[in-house]
Amino acid sequence: MALSWNIARATSTKASSASMEEARHRTLEFFREACRALPQLMDRYNLDEVITQSQLRSKIAAQFRKHAAVTNPKIVDMLVFKGKEELQYCLDHAKQRHHLISTYVVGSEGQVALKKLGTVDHGESKFLKNFYQSNLF
Amino acid sequence: MAFALVRSALGAIKEKGLKGAFRAAKEEGYFAALLDGNLANSKFRIDGVKLVGVDKAGNRYYEKMSHVQHGRHRWVVYADKVYNASAIPPEWHGWLHHITDHTPEQLEGLRPSRYGVEHMKNRTGEGEQYIYHAKGHALNPNKRDWKRYEEWRPVE
Amino acid sequence: MAPRCRRYSLPLRRSSTGSAPRRLASPVVDSASICGAGSGVAAAEGSGSRGLHSGVAWYAGIRGQLYEGKGRGKDGSKQVSESYKWSSGMSLGGVRHARTASVAAVGAKFTANPEDCIEVSVDGSNVTIAKGMTVLQACEVAGIDIPRFCYHPRLSIAGNCRMCLVEVEKTPKPVASCALPAMPGMKIKTNTPLVKKAREGVMEFLLINHPLDCPICDQGGECDLQDQSMVYGSDRGRFIEAKRGVVDKNLGPLVKTVMTRCIQCTRCVRFASEIAGVQDLGVLGRGGAEEIGTYVEKLMVSELSGNVIDVCPVGALTAKPSAFTARSWELKSTESIDVSDAVGANIRIDSRGPEVMRILPRLNEEVNEEWISDKARFSYDGLKRQRLNEPMIRNSEGQLEPVSWAKALKTVAEAAHKVNPAEMAAIAGKLSDAESMMALKDLMNRLGCERLWVEGNGENADADLRSNYLVNTTIAGLEYTDACLLVGTELRHEAPLLNHRLRKAVRNSRAKVASIGPELDLHFKCEHLGNSSDALLSIAQGKHPFAQVLSKAKFPSIIVGSGVLQRSDKDAVLAAVQSIVQQANMIRDDWNGYNFLLLNAAQAAGLDLGFVPGARAPVGDKSSIKFLYLMGADDLTPEDIPADAFVVYQGHHGDRSAYRANVILPGVAYSEKEGTYENTEGRTQQTSPAVPTVGDARDDWKIVRALSEFAGVTLPYDTVNGVRARMLAVAPNLFRVDELEPATPLPKESLPESKTKLESLPFKKVVDNFYMTDAISRASKTMAQCTAAFSSS
Repeated sequence: MALSWNIARATSTKASSASMEEARHRTLEFFREACRALPQLMDRYNLDEVITQSQLRSKIAAQFRKHAAVTNPKIVDMLVFKGKEELQYCLDHAKQRHHLISTYVVGSEGQVALKKLGTVDHGESKFLKNFYQSNLF
Repeated sequence: MAFALVRSALGAIKEKGLKGAFRAAKEEGYFAALLDGNLANSKFRIDGVKLVGVDKAGNRYYEKMSHVQHGRHRWVVYADKVYNASAIPPEWHGWLHHITDHTPEQLEGLRPSRYGVEHMKNRTGEGEQYIYHAKGHALNPNKRDWKRYEEWRPVE
Repeated sequence: MAPRCRRYSLPLRRSSTGSAPRRLASPVVDSASICGAGSGVAAAEGSGSRGLHSGVAWYAGIRGQLYEGKGRGKDGSKQVSESYKWSSGMSLGGVRHARTASVAAVGAKFTANPEDCIEVSVDGSNVTIAKGMTVLQACEVAGIDIPRFCYHPRLSIAGNCRMCLVEVEKTPKPVASCALPAMPGMKIKTNTPLVKKAREGVMEFLLINHPLDCPICDQGGECDLQDQSMVYGSDRGRFIEAKRGVVDKNLGPLVKTVMTRCIQCTRCVRFASEIAGVQDLGVLGRGGAEEIGTYVEKLMVSELSGNVIDVCPVGALTAKPSAFTARSWELKSTESIDVSDAVGANIRIDSRGPEVMRILPRLNEEVNEEWISDKARFSYDGLKRQRLNEPMIRNSEGQLEPVSWAKALKTVAEAAHKVNPAEMAAIAGKLSDAESMMALKDLMNRLGCERLWVEGNGENADADLRSNYLVNTTIAGLEYTDACLLVGTELRHEAPLLNHRLRKAVRNSRAKVASIGPELDLHFKCEHLGNSSDALLSIAQGKHPFAQVLSKAKFPSIIVGSGVLQRSDKDAVLAAVQSIVQQANMIRDDWNGYNFLLLNAAQAAGLDLGFVPGARAPVGDKSSIKFLYLMGADDLTPEDIPADAFVVYQGHHGDRSAYRANVILPGVAYSEKEGTYENTEGRTQQTSPAVPTVGDARDDWKIVRALSEFAGVTLPYDTVNGVRARMLAVAPNLFRVDELEPATPLPKESLPESKTKLESLPFKKVVDNFYMTDAISRASKTMAQCTAAFSSS
């Protein structure tokens, strides 16, 4: 029952926002919606082991802030639509745990940080850099 | 049958008083049997009935050999009020379903001694700890060791 | 029909007139050319050493054994590798190298006789074969595969399984082709309904008592009986009586027996008595009660006992250590080289994921034929235990603690710079590959240290003359010797496969063998001349009767064990040996009978690379060492290492020296790297990685290369090919993989001057316990069980 309701909500399309004000309103609405879904996501994907709910909320807020400079209401609508789609996938378990961990918990900048971990450049040769990494070179 | 029932009810009232007999009947599940046909069928059959055995969980196994519909002459009265057919251990299962005419006591000699675990009824819905997680499952507390070598550790 | 020319292997036969083996021809040669008068000599010269092997096999033919060129192994892969070897033999054994050329010169004395060829018809097509070949071999030449169980090309013919039945015209019933000599004009039919029916009958009889336990049998998937029942087996049985059961025999910790599965092919019995030289196995009973067993409850004490597992066509004999661990089809096979002794047997490492599951021999006629020693086969479980998987440093409390590579290497480099180069030393262990020894030598030399040696070579090894430290007869060539003197070596324990070659010489051509050194039953007739250098001296002076045996022999040889290097009067012993060599005229243009048997896989390459102390290096006194680099070297006792020395242990196992180390750098084992090794006859071979490295371990040469950067003397190579290019400059032969680089024989005049006097000391045992000689076998549980089980022998 909940699932069909979710699908209906996700697929409902409204006319595009007439003004930036309306787009902003829709964005805030969607952010609240996402925040309300958080407890369910934490539970469903066992995210308590890797992140707290408030941390995850700020991660999601960061995703919103990434697009702060957008001024075209049509683009805002598009972004909100994509966000809703993403949220629905998460709620429908169309994703697996590692998808959420890699995109939200670690994040793209986190991936880079992980790679850099322990390989601070001390000006060593290429051979040594490879040597520290693995035996496969 | 009805006569025997009334007689045993009166006997109980005489022994425990009306209130006591009422409470006992409630605890024994006689009132629940009024709403549950299966229970009634087993509870109210007392005439010419033989108690064949009681298993470790307290389930009682009855038999009535005469004046009974064919195939309904063996039955079980569960120990639990919320009963479940999986509570029957395999040794009684055979007797109950006419796979064998021997009771577990008679078959004790055939029981394998080296393996086989104690029967446990299905615990579905009774908590996380009763759910079976295969080895390697994320929720199995025993994490698998995928390392295929043994590392050297200096003697401390 | 016109005779068809086919390529085939031609066994040689011993001349009926002379004692010298008459050389016929190369194994791969046109039948037309062999039958052409006089062309056999040319073919012999061009064929290299390979033909000689067939020649020795023919000696066996005198005793009713026949050699077949193409062997059928236990599984398909063996066959593939064999045919691969066969075709590559053309280039490997070519006349490019002086050694093979000289062997060919030996062969050139023998002449081909076209009368030795006969023609038979197999399934309607004519083939030309050598006289004396069996019908089965004729069919092989014709390219027809005959099913067989009891027939094995390296064992005598039993003819008791009856699976190889064929029809021969003018015979009343089918005949066992493995035991029937081919006659001229014989018309052999292998695909008639009669043959098929006969084989189906044999199969039905075999399956009467064979259990249907293929799903739980370790041989399942690589079983001859299983394969052949696919072709000749019935889809239902007619047998309704009870199957028989046979009590399993205890053959020790290596071979598991399920005797009910046995089909009485007697291959194992023949292997034990003919190859391994132990008379322990035999057939008991007759008919339905026939079974294989040891007559009394007895373990099979042989270093080659594991080969009965490969020889067994069914699942009666399987490997005990790998029982029920893997099925053959889930394994990945990697062709590699064994490093447990200096013979360098060719092996196949079968792995599943990160684990080595078993090790099998690979066919190489010139090294190990198709046998390997038990240590090579079963010590693999040591690869999974006691592994070093992260760099460690001894902290101020004296405890080893894991650190990063950068910190470990920095510590080593700092320690190295603190000491005087004269107080440094580096030892390469038994299992070191040539690449890492090259890198270590370059690093230590750049740091100013010249005190280097390889374990087993001794601290003052002499690498000047290559022929002085190699088996110059070659391993295969040792079969031709007719008189051999063993000096200070327990051949059976030091190199079981070389012992097998010498045993072949004794069995096939009645070679006389005498031994000076620790007494050991070599499983063949060997005269023990005592364990003191006095006997050696009396032979050198020509007083001893064996001196006459040696000088009368056509192909005399001597095998000096590397235990001699540990003696204080090493030079005197070697001088005595040289005078024996000269008196017996062992070094000729066509024969070099001087053999120095090395003990460890790393030794030959180490000597070739000059991993020996430089001229300025101090010798002997170890108390001055302040910085000691051990690359897998475990032979030093804690007393040998000064207490204040900084010890770096680079290796793959936490063996003896790891406990003394100040820094541990985890390297990789031979199953995990591509390393170059040179065996005791000077053959360069390479291992290939079968499984991934463990933990944070790194290839050994890479560790040395990384360390050089920290020490400020960066080595000029970054890749393994870079290291090999450097090796090419130092020892070009190490670059030519799978080729035998013969040593130039010693000039006769250069008798080494003995500085020391021969002392009357006994020769010491160098192999205390055959089953535990290196870090891997010491970590192996199987080898520990063997030690316990066989220690009484």
